[in-house]
Amino acid sequence: MRFITIGLAAAAMAIGMAGASAQTMSYSDAGALLAQSCGKDITKYCAKVNLGDGALRDCMMSQQAKISPQCLTDYQAVVASITKRNAAQQSVAKLCKNDVVRHCQGMVAGDAHFLSCLNAASRVVTAACNQAIVDAGWR
Amino acid sequence: MKKTIFGGLVLAIALTGAAGSASAQTALDQNQIMQSLQSAARAAPPELSAALIRNAVQEHIKNNPGMPITWTPLQLLDGLAQINVQIQFALNSDIIRPESYATIGSIADALHHPILGGYKFVVTGNTDTTGDRQANLVLSQKRADAVMAALVTTYGVDPSRLEAVGLGEENLEDTKDPTNPLNRRVQLINIGKYLPK
Repeated sequence: MRFITIGLAAAAMAIGMAGASAQTMSYSDAGALLAQSCGKDITKYCAKVNLGDGALRDCMMSQQAKISPQCLTDYQAVVASITKRNAAQQSVAKLCKNDVVRHCQGMVAGDAHFLSCLNAASRVVTAACNQAIVDAGWR
Repeated sequence: MKKTIFGGLVLAIALTGAAGSASAQTALDQNQIMQSLQSAARAAPPELSAALIRNAVQEHIKNNPGMPITWTPLQLLDGLAQINVQIQFALNSDIIRPESYATIGSIADALHHPILGGYKFVVTGNTDTTGDRQANLVLSQKRADAVMAALVTTYGVDPSRLEAVGLGEENLEDTKDPTNPLNRRVQLINIGKYLPK
C-alpha cells in the first residue's frame, strides 16, 4: 500500500527533523492546509464521507490514484504534524517535571499555572522541556 | 435576537472562511476562544450534563407546539461559558465541508490547551426552523456527532471530555427570525470541571 508507505516515510522524516526544531502546525493550520491542498479532491472523490473516524483517510487511500500528488504529500504532513503535536503534549509533564520542581515552587496546579511559570522561565528551563512545550503549541 | 457575546467570533469565521493561504485561515483567535470558554463567572451548575440537556430539549418540544414565534426560549444554556461557530455542512447532511476543517481545528487548539484541560464540554448542533422539527433534531445530532468525531479522531481531543448533543431548532440564536442562517450553528459549551476517573 503506497499510501501507508508514504505515511511512514513522512512520519520518519518528521521525527528526524524534530531535532532541527521543525515546528508542529496548530490544529487549525493543519485543517486549513488539508482543506487548501485536498479540498477539491475531497469534494470530487470523497464528498460522501466525513473527516472523522478515519473515513476521509480510507476514502483517499482508495482513490489515491486520482488524487493530486500535492494533496497526498500535504495530507501526510498534516497527519505527521498532528501526531507529533499530540505526542509532545503528552510528553510535557514528564520532560518538564524537574523544571517545575526547580523553577515553579509553591505554585498550585490547574489553570495552566505551571505552563505560565515554565514559559516565563524559558531561559533557564531545560532544552528538552522547552522543545516539548514549543512542539505542543503551548508557547 | 438573544444577546450574543461572541458575535465577533462568528463574524471572524465568516470573513476568513475563504481565505487563501493556510496561515491566513486561522479562523478564530485562540486567546479569545480560551477566555470565552474559561470564564468562571459563567460556570455551569454542577448537575448540568448532556442527558439533562437532551431532556430539556424534549420538554421544550412538548411544551411549545405551534409556530416558532410563540415558543418560549430554551434558557438552560444561556449565560454559560460558550462559543458559537459556523460550520459548513453539505446540504441536509452531516458531512463537514473542507472549508470548515480549519474552524474545527481552532476548537481543537483551544481544547488541547492546559487552560481548558480541566473542563468538560458539550458540542451542540443547531438548525434553523426550515423543514421538519423532528428531522432537524435528528440532523443536528448527526452534525454534532460529526464535529465531535473530527475533534476526537482527527485532532486528538480526549473523548472523555466531550459529548455531542443535537438541539434541533429548539435553541434559536435569533428567536425573532427563526429562519435566520445565524441559527444554524455549532456551540461549544463548558459544562464544568473534568475529573479523570
